[in-house]
Amino acid sequence: MKKLVLKLLLYIFLILLLLEIMVRAFHLYAEDPPRFIDDLGVEKRVPGYRGYSVTGNRNQNFSEFNINKAGFNSHREFTPSKEKYEIALIGDSFIEGFHQDFDNSIAVKIEAQLDDTEVYQYGYAGYDLANQMHLIYAYKEQFALTDEIILYLNYQSDLYRGSYEPNVGRIKKLSSTIFKVRDNIKLLSYGSKIGVIEPIKNLLTGRSLDDNPDQRFQEHLEKLEHQETPETQKEFLDNFKSLVHLYGYDKCKTTLLLDSRKTSDSFLKFCRENNFKYIDFAPTFEHSEEPETLIYDRHWNNHGRDLIAKVISDYFKTLDKTQDCE
Amino acid sequence: MLFNSIEYLLFLPAVFSLYWFVFKKNVVVQNIFLIGASYLFYGWWDWRFLLLIFLSTVVDFFVGQKIYQNIDVKKKARYWLWVSMAFNIGMLGFFKYSNFFVDSFIDLFHTLGYDIKSTWTLKVILPVGISFYTFQTMSYSFDIYYKKLKPTRNFIAFTAFVSFFPQLVAGPIERASNLLSQITNSRVFNYAQASSGLKLILWGLFKKMVIADSLAPLVDDIFANYGTYSASTLIMGVCFFSFQVYGDFSGYSDIAIGTAKLFGIELMSNFKFPNFSRNVAEYWQRWHVSLSTWFRHYLYIPMGGSRVSKLKSVRNIIVIFVISGFWHGANWTFIFWGALHAVFYIPVFLMGRNRMYAHNVVGENRLFPTPFEIFQVLLTFALVTFSRIFFRSPTLTDSFQYIDQIINNFTYESYVNPMGYRMMDYYVLLAFFVIYEYLIRKDERSPFKFKSKTVRFLLYTIIVLAMLLFYDDGVNRSFIYFQF
Repeated sequence: MKKLVLKLLLYIFLILLLLEIMVRAFHLYAEDPPRFIDDLGVEKRVPGYRGYSVTGNRNQNFSEFNINKAGFNSHREFTPSKEKYEIALIGDSFIEGFHQDFDNSIAVKIEAQLDDTEVYQYGYAGYDLANQMHLIYAYKEQFALTDEIILYLNYQSDLYRGSYEPNVGRIKKLSSTIFKVRDNIKLLSYGSKIGVIEPIKNLLTGRSLDDNPDQRFQEHLEKLEHQETPETQKEFLDNFKSLVHLYGYDKCKTTLLLDSRKTSDSFLKFCRENNFKYIDFAPTFEHSEEPETLIYDRHWNNHGRDLIAKVISDYFKTLDKTQDCE
Repeated sequence: MLFNSIEYLLFLPAVFSLYWFVFKKNVVVQNIFLIGASYLFYGWWDWRFLLLIFLSTVVDFFVGQKIYQNIDVKKKARYWLWVSMAFNIGMLGFFKYSNFFVDSFIDLFHTLGYDIKSTWTLKVILPVGISFYTFQTMSYSFDIYYKKLKPTRNFIAFTAFVSFFPQLVAGPIERASNLLSQITNSRVFNYAQASSGLKLILWGLFKKMVIADSLAPLVDDIFANYGTYSASTLIMGVCFFSFQVYGDFSGYSDIAIGTAKLFGIELMSNFKFPNFSRNVAEYWQRWHVSLSTWFRHYLYIPMGGSRVSKLKSVRNIIVIFVISGFWHGANWTFIFWGALHAVFYIPVFLMGRNRMYAHNVVGENRLFPTPFEIFQVLLTFALVTFSRIFFRSPTLTDSFQYIDQIINNFTYESYVNPMGYRMMDYYVLLAFFVIYEYLIRKDERSPFKFKSKTVRFLLYTIIVLAMLLFYDDGVNRSFIYFQF
């Protein structure tokens, strides 16, 4: 009996050790560059990190990221000046673009279509509109030099608050010892990414073991249904107005990038009536013959990014600079 | 409780430790503990159905005594045998088949032009494993009736025999002559046996978690949307289902046999590499062995088996296969599936080739199979896989439409995995699986029979890595045969 237990423990240890080596060798784990909140209260990545973002269980998506000095995934440094023409593209993980090599990002694709233009990609997973508008407010000198600003608005998830508060809790959690251990033991990091740790975590925290993806999906659908109520739409609009009031909004150079299929008509009407410019990529996506999103996590795939870049480029090619924007 | 769940990961070491460290001195106490553990294991799903297991236990324990007391008075012995059968089959009929019969009658009358509104359809939950433990307890009464076994007077041992958790919900369907005697006698811990049990558990988990669970979403997608797919995808879908159901069920059996070994108990083999069968008869000697031998011993042979005229033997074969199909589920699809296997089996039987491969394996004494053997294996696999269209489809209409779609849309189209994974991963996985199973085909109870410790260690690691690589938290991890 003793022999069995000892041998079993030894085998488990050796197997885990070999697995750690294999997970590292095949780079199955996901790298998540560390996050922090700077002196101005902006949440972003720690500059200088370069690595690979891995999605899916068997390296379905493997792409290189590069965190620039400003703390965002980009192929270039952000150095706005009066002499150059710059566009700031601000948004969440869709703009951050960890699903694409950083040298093939939306920004790179736009630059390829617009002459003498630099595109600064301020993307950060988890940003909502409050994050985005606070970012412009916090870095106002920098954005004063930037010629155009595009805010990616995912209407269904980005208007839940009317003011910005840095997510100190999340940053603290991610910097805790437990997360540091997880990030250093790549097998653990990989196991956590694919959900294999989840049942153990549920068991330890006493969460229902029946909590399954179907149930989560159902809850998500219910949430979406809830968004269609007039009360929620009013709440979203009030939050938008509050953000504009708190952080300012330069209507001349700021444009919203949105999908009208997922945005309420009342919000679109409000934008039109009050000169909040927006680019609607819904028609382009609707006419696309290929899927625009990755299959496994619904972020834009390369084709989707091509389309977004084209929509933005076309918009600037035809933009009437003399138009009154007040 | 599922074998592949976190609860079982905690349950098994706890029960194992208590069994060997705390209760090992007294076999009665050890058996009482086994009963408690087994009832907990089963009650994890639905404790209410524990009553059914207990009733089945009490009835067959009592009936066994009665049959034995009247063993020389055939009529009385038969009467008590009928009591056992009536109780077990009645229970099975009520929980599993009542709605099927009601619905079939309604359909029949509808076909004849009479519309009947059903007021008889019952909202009955199918108790997990009912088909397995009822057959196991019935085998006890049969064995006593046929004078192969003396009834036990040890009710605790008999209860432990009926409810022994490793094989309670999906077999192997044990015979009292094998399992009960082991439970009655005291067990001694044996390192080699426990170690071989752990290896079987690992191999079973691989088959379930990697082969079956990774193919399940693809099979579900293809069978749910068969009308939109081309022949190439539909053929691939049913081939995948063949591997899925094999991985699922044989994986379960391996874990069950492995777990039993940890408790010092040997269960019968249930799967002997059926994918390498050279004809359908050999397939049934290798697939779900505990059920096919059950039907052979308690139905086919009492009906005369093959010792009667050819015509009667053919009738017996048809009966066995149709009942076997019906055992799987209350649906015409299973009956048709069983009948189809009878159609495949009868020519083999008439040619006298049904026992031809009973004692050897493909590529016996050779590294590679002969080209003819490869042809035989592929043909058998094709026939069995074809029949699985009926096994997997929800209705007979769906089955025929699936086949119709293959014939009428006989084109090749590449299949896009709905979850976005590369299809090549699955082809490579299955190729390795088939090659590996071929290498170990001579002994289904020793999946890691390699002399080199390093090779064995590497295999264990690769298997655990594969479990991670093919893990999907969105997959329903239940076992297919639980629904039977």
